[in-house]
Amino acid sequence: MSIQVDHISYTYMTHTSLEKKALDDVAFTLEKGEFVALIGHTGSGKSTLAEHLNGLLHPMAGKVLVDGVDLAAKTPEAKAARNRVGMVFQYPEHQLFAETIYEDIAFGPRNQGKTEPEVEEAVRSAMEFVDLEFDNFAQRSPFQLSGGQMRRVAIAGVVAMEPDYLIMDEPSAGLDPISRDSIFGQLRKIFEKRKMGVLLITHSMEEAAQYASRLLVMSDSRLQLDGPARELFTHEREKLEALSVDVPESVKLAEELRQQGLPIEGTPITKAELIRAIDKAKGWKAC
Amino acid sequence: MEPIIETKNLTHTYVDGQNQEMTALQGIDLSIAPGEFVAIIGTNGSGKSTLARHFNGLLTPTSGHCLVGGLDTAIEENLWTVRQTVGMVFQNPDNQIVAAIVEEDVAFGLENIGVPGPEIRPRVEKALAAVDMLDYAKRAPHRLSGGQKQRVAIAGVLALEPRCIVFDEPTAMLDPRGRKEIVSTVLKLNKEKHITIVYITHKMEEAILADRIIAMEKGRIVLEGTPKEVFTQVDRIRGLGLECPLAAEVANALDKQGHQLPPIITHKELCEALCPSK
Repeated sequence: MSIQVDHISYTYMTHTSLEKKALDDVAFTLEKGEFVALIGHTGSGKSTLAEHLNGLLHPMAGKVLVDGVDLAAKTPEAKAARNRVGMVFQYPEHQLFAETIYEDIAFGPRNQGKTEPEVEEAVRSAMEFVDLEFDNFAQRSPFQLSGGQMRRVAIAGVVAMEPDYLIMDEPSAGLDPISRDSIFGQLRKIFEKRKMGVLLITHSMEEAAQYASRLLVMSDSRLQLDGPARELFTHEREKLEALSVDVPESVKLAEELRQQGLPIEGTPITKAELIRAIDKAKGWKAC
Repeated sequence: MEPIIETKNLTHTYVDGQNQEMTALQGIDLSIAPGEFVAIIGTNGSGKSTLARHFNGLLTPTSGHCLVGGLDTAIEENLWTVRQTVGMVFQNPDNQIVAAIVEEDVAFGLENIGVPGPEIRPRVEKALAAVDMLDYAKRAPHRLSGGQKQRVAIAGVLALEPRCIVFDEPTAMLDPRGRKEIVSTVLKLNKEKHITIVYITHKMEEAILADRIIAMEKGRIVLEGTPKEVFTQVDRIRGLGLECPLAAEVANALDKQGHQLPPIITHKELCEALCPSK
């Protein structure tokens, strides 16, 4: 079970003076049960790539296969395959539309042809995942909520469709640290329970390092790097820099400490790892 | 020196969709000196943006006062002067750009306030030069990167020659490269042109650059001080739903293990504390 991106290319506004190649021979596989982060600066092709993964765009060359089914085919199988890929766009709270939170989250499952009792079950379980208490929130208007809560409702709407693959385009943009941590905590929980394939598009190396087991780095419409986070942050520093992609703050701090003579081992990609590495280097025993 | 912005017991209430009276700001007493760089931090809904909107009269206090350059923003005749004193830059550059050519966009505000034609071009050029965008004067804004668009938006405000600019999360929608461009632009405006900066952000690595940090919670100012005074209170900041710079958080964790360290908020300070031989 996987999404297989098979050497796809895509160009916007072909045959005009504004022609722009957005994807150039991009190839990788996202397995179900894998948590992958996609990074790269604005205009590198990340969002165009994401739009190919549930058939919003079809490649001009190459194929996208979901569990072996070509998304560009005009068959019931292709439609069903698109349905298994959930997409959370940037600022998804802008897409809330219904009068109650229940109705908003129910929209997707209802469109999938679920019966009313099944819809309610899906809504309840999605709300539980994003920590919105059903009895308290279901009948309230989504527009009366805080920004972080609105975003959780929007994510619940996608989760309620029980996708096998979840594509998220910068789910933490504009949120404060506490809302961000809560959204990622919930995402982690959903991921662990349902073992979906997750593709997280982010500008935050901290998020990428903490949650994803594998990083994809895009630049100039091409997939430039693909590998485990720690490996890239250890061995591909120069290439990341050339692509103007940052490394996590903890990696930089570890490097500065090492330059000042503290023998930090390895590449601590999170704060917790850095603290352990400092303890070890100083011969301190963490309590 | 007279403060450029001063609030006295400023309170702002509004009526929400369910007809309930909500208090967005409660008894804010604040004074910002000319040339100062002040960062305002706080979670979503803590009142940061509501407060900032008082600084150029987009909102006026329900009770208490907000004075800009000594002028009360609640008095309508003062608003022109208030808005020429304090400019605003918002989160989304796309919402702030009105024209199809960069230099026309920057000229828009000048035309609006009736600046004579011959004066417009030099002021537009000066503003674009200050944000390093002069080479893009004839370009179409929608084809620029996020950081470039935001710099055009800043130039549009700068051309009006305000004494103070309020930035409301100007980097929230930008990638790391765009973020760096904006941060260095803001620092340059403050250090070289001596423009007073009020900078709202969730990003602690940006707040740390300010002279003074104000932390808000539920419509009140709950913490205030230099970056070092504020960010060494790691548990307090966490309690507000925010975070501290990495070096401060690491130092705090080591401190809790029983290792005495001096106050630390930067990489350099952590290096010095942990590697005393150098």
